[in-house]
Amino acid sequence: MLKIENLHAEVDGKEILKGLTLSVNAGEVHAIMGPNGAGKSTLGYVLGGRPGYEVTGGSVSFDGQDLLELEPHERAAAGLFLGFQYPVEIPGISNVQFLREALNSQRRARDEAPLSGAEFLKLARAQAAALEMDAEMLKRPVNVGFSGGEKKRNEMVQMGILGPKLAVLDETDSGLDIDALRIVGEGINRIMRAPDKAVLLITHYQRLLDYVKPDFVHVLADGRIVRSGGPELALELEREGYGAVAA
Amino acid sequence: MTMLVLPSPREEAWRWADLDTLRTAAASASQVPGVDPKSLFLDIEGPRLLFVDGVFEPAHSMPGPVTLAEMALDTEHPLGKSALGEGWSLHVPAQGAVTHVQVVHIGSGGENHVPARVVLAEDAVASVVETYAGSGWANRLLHAELAHGSRLMRSVRLLQSEGFVSLRDEALVGAGASLVSVFLGAGGAGSRIDGAVTLVGKGAFAEMGGTLLTRGTQKQEAAVVLRHLETDGTSRQVWRAVAADRSAASLAARVDVARGAQKTDGEQSLRGLLLQRTATVNLKPELEIFADDVKCAHGATVGELDKRALFYLQSRGVDEPRAKALLTRAFVADALERIGEDEVRDAFIADADKWLEEAL
Repeated sequence: MLKIENLHAEVDGKEILKGLTLSVNAGEVHAIMGPNGAGKSTLGYVLGGRPGYEVTGGSVSFDGQDLLELEPHERAAAGLFLGFQYPVEIPGISNVQFLREALNSQRRARDEAPLSGAEFLKLARAQAAALEMDAEMLKRPVNVGFSGGEKKRNEMVQMGILGPKLAVLDETDSGLDIDALRIVGEGINRIMRAPDKAVLLITHYQRLLDYVKPDFVHVLADGRIVRSGGPELALELEREGYGAVAA
Repeated sequence: MTMLVLPSPREEAWRWADLDTLRTAAASASQVPGVDPKSLFLDIEGPRLLFVDGVFEPAHSMPGPVTLAEMALDTEHPLGKSALGEGWSLHVPAQGAVTHVQVVHIGSGGENHVPARVVLAEDAVASVVETYAGSGWANRLLHAELAHGSRLMRSVRLLQSEGFVSLRDEALVGAGASLVSVFLGAGGAGSRIDGAVTLVGKGAFAEMGGTLLTRGTQKQEAAVVLRHLETDGTSRQVWRAVAADRSAASLAARVDVARGAQKTDGEQSLRGLLLQRTATVNLKPELEIFADDVKCAHGATVGELDKRALFYLQSRGVDEPRAKALLTRAFVADALERIGEDEVRDAFIADADKWLEEAL
């Protein structure tokens, strides 16, 4: 589904990704772990197409398409979802308005009929309920006044509504208390655990992996994948630290 | 008009005014406006008045309680002074209500002048929607007097495709009375919205605000003074300016609080958004306070669209022009939300959306 080969990328002229190679197949959950500054968030933004994150070498194909050729909104319509580490507050636009606009833009791009207001609300309410988010929050401006945990939960509600093929989740576990961590973890499993979907979980810690069991764990250090393994690698990292494992 | 005497841009109050465009519009030759007056009336019940080149058109009007008369309103305002001749007048008796009055002005070139007067007796209620379309220089003067407990909601949209619109409002707001005026500049013409609103009674409420959307080489401005003369008054000036290309939008808003006007609550929020760095937004908030027990909040900021928000929207599937339109609309929303009537507010938001679709 996702094939990253020898990817090099820089931000403000500084090279952050230095030849990253990674393949994710449908039905798989991959965790990418690594110390601060290793390039984890940069990888997420490069995949999402954020301006200022310049690819200087390598390739990324997504479902056979050249991902790097696509505009950010085209990547979304193609089935990529980027879960933000710091979801953005947008005063003046309600969650409902934002998500209906987003979903229908994606549907139009895929030549699917847009959802009516009523159809959309039904879908949005169901997804909010599944993530134990108060339906009233759907009416509020996007992320404005939300706590850190509420923002992350809202990211998962968005993911549920948009129904992507591949979710790249950047530190979705940060800012969550224990209950929220469980709800979000279960949400990821419910929405994304399917034979035709895949997840790339970017995280510092093992704790989210207690809920979302990865099939593969990779260690990212200094812009490259330096080790790959099964779920046991995450436990080893937790026990021994990045220094020992990535050395 | 044989001689057009305009203020000098060297005067502080006129330094951002686009008087060249005004002059050109005043001298422009008449052309067929190509605007269907029907399309400019909102689909709501109420008195309707159409003025074409400043002349009342009975065929398209149903003035109801609104009367037409020759007027010479007393003003010192350099442009307002020229607004002489036949105008419209609305008097609402005590406890009466006249709502959804619509006044449409279509210009076809050259200059046209219309005075207007609104007088509300005690506890009377009125609402007026004004629309400007076509071309030429449309010059207007409004005098409003609101007696104790009366309420006037006024919504004005400037949709002229070219030329210039100058509006001068002079209003006296009595005790417990409320005047809310909301403006939308979403056409291609230059404009000057000029207001002098005086809160003369205890506990009066006055609001003058709106949204100016400019593009190309267009210049629009608002210059508003709200004066508190009595105690317990409240005033609001919520203005949003969005400037694209090489255009300029300017907002000068002043609050004066007289010596005895204790417990005044004033709020001034002036915000500008630059869609390109070649555009200009000028903001000039002013407070002049001679009472000691007052609350006057004020803020003035100019910025660009939040790039993080833009990427966030795009990452969810919204293309860049649409994402910019949504964010810009969100930016202006709080100024247009002050319109108290749903149908009118929706129509104004639709006009703003249309502008955004064309500009982005």
